[in-house]
Amino acid sequence: MPTPAIEFREVTKVYRQRLRGLEVPALTHTSFEVLPGEICAFLGPNGAGKTTSINLLLGFFYADFGDIRVMGYQPGDVRAKRQIGFLPENFAFYKYLTAVRLLRFHGGLANRQKGETARLIPELLAQVKLTGYERLKIGKYSRGMVQRLGFAQALLADPQLLVLDEPTSGLDPTGRKDVRELLATLRAQGKTVFLSSHLLSEVEQICDRVIIISRGRVIKSGRMQELLGVTDRVELLATGTTPELEQRVQELGGTTARNEDGVLITVSVAYKREIAESLWAANLDVLHILPVRSSLEELYLQTVGTESGVV
Amino acid sequence: MHNRLIVLVLILAACVVLLTLFPLLAAKAASTVSNREAMEAMVLEEVSGVMSFVSGLGSVLAAWCAADALQSELRSGTVLAVMARPVRRWEFLLGKYLGVMLFMFCYVCLMFCMSYLFVDIAGMRIHAAPWVLVVYPMVRYAIYAGLALCLATLVHPVVTMGTMLALWILTETVGPGAVAWNAKLKWLKTALYYFLPSTNLFGEGRFLSLRQAALKQATWSDHAITLAYGLDCALILVLLAMWSFHYRSLRQD
Repeated sequence: MPTPAIEFREVTKVYRQRLRGLEVPALTHTSFEVLPGEICAFLGPNGAGKTTSINLLLGFFYADFGDIRVMGYQPGDVRAKRQIGFLPENFAFYKYLTAVRLLRFHGGLANRQKGETARLIPELLAQVKLTGYERLKIGKYSRGMVQRLGFAQALLADPQLLVLDEPTSGLDPTGRKDVRELLATLRAQGKTVFLSSHLLSEVEQICDRVIIISRGRVIKSGRMQELLGVTDRVELLATGTTPELEQRVQELGGTTARNEDGVLITVSVAYKREIAESLWAANLDVLHILPVRSSLEELYLQTVGTESGVV
Repeated sequence: MHNRLIVLVLILAACVVLLTLFPLLAAKAASTVSNREAMEAMVLEEVSGVMSFVSGLGSVLAAWCAADALQSELRSGTVLAVMARPVRRWEFLLGKYLGVMLFMFCYVCLMFCMSYLFVDIAGMRIHAAPWVLVVYPMVRYAIYAGLALCLATLVHPVVTMGTMLALWILTETVGPGAVAWNAKLKWLKTALYYFLPSTNLFGEGRFLSLRQAALKQATWSDHAITLAYGLDCALILVLLAMWSFHYRSLRQD
């Protein structure tokens, strides 16, 4: 079993305002792990504890209880930070710097050779489509440009683990597509990516693992294929149907629906042969038979909705 | 915004200092053989006043820059991108401190040039070793910057600057020539005089004189002990700041 890239064991974090006597639990006995080479999505409603978890694993503050390991080290350990690239949700830069100077600065912080950084900067800027804006001060950048630059600085030190908090925030659809392609490239290189996002459709396309957190607790975790998995129902798309067949489908607990392609019949997998043969017997064509899969959005809403008491 | 405020304060201080040139030039023009001593006394008083102001401003400036250097990073969130890199917290803080000290070195050099310029305009000489006029203020500012940095890691920036300003005002009230205290609190004034950085040990007044006859001689061991004491204080404060910063949350929220 490889060493997890990120490991949380019974982590608890409570925000305290001592003067006002306020205590807000952000994480309560939270446990999860992210294996190397995975793209893991960290999902949850606002205030669930996603950013708190990210801040803890980067060592920006400390947990009250529990154990956290990042690349096998304590959070904040420079040996871990050498292998991490981080993109926070609202990336704050020194506005008076240009993109080139900022990347040089971060290259220096990451202990990279000046020559190596100088060679890498044009490639990175081309990768995030900021070529031509190298000499413009960052204070003049748009939100999307700042986000792209944030990506470039996260990739600068060739990290093994990328921690991305809302990586597609502020990006147009083309930008989001570029991010998806970039993450796919990183996965092919064996990098680990830990990202939080509210764009579930995009997460569904790229992520291997999903962790859903709500009110400081992990409520669902697993591989995308397992969680979305195949249900016990199939959908048959036929060129038409008969009243007898519709009645039979209803008796079997299925549904029929007409769309522009034909008639979509959803029924339990145990009855797919019977329905298919009934359609053929009625001289109707079966265009496809596919297993019914739930979407990440459905899973998320079902999971979070149940957790919050709303069905 | 804060950096602009610092620059504005410096510009205002420079204007105030430049305005004091006029009386000095007038004194030089009006100086004759008969009134030379009276003019010398007036010039001495004026130059001392201006240099005290500039020197005292430097203490506040050192504290303000040190506190702002840290707080502005925490407030804007730029500290997160830096601390996500393989940078230790104490390295970050030390870098800030050294940056402030470099800025204060430029200020001290300016103050040094100003001292000689003013005295030269008045037609007199400073009878003190030049290095004294640089090293002692630097040690004083190192203490103030260390204290401000330590406070900035613990409390709100307003509390930090309030504390430093109170300290500076206290320093002005215990120095030579300041308002006399109540007889019952004289012991406190004496204690503060010896304890506070700007007064007894690190004040240039110990070594600066416009008259050869009034020059106070100090041995090398005096200098070494005094400077070691000052640097020790600064070091302790910086170490305390590093220790405090290690446990501090890097998020302002």
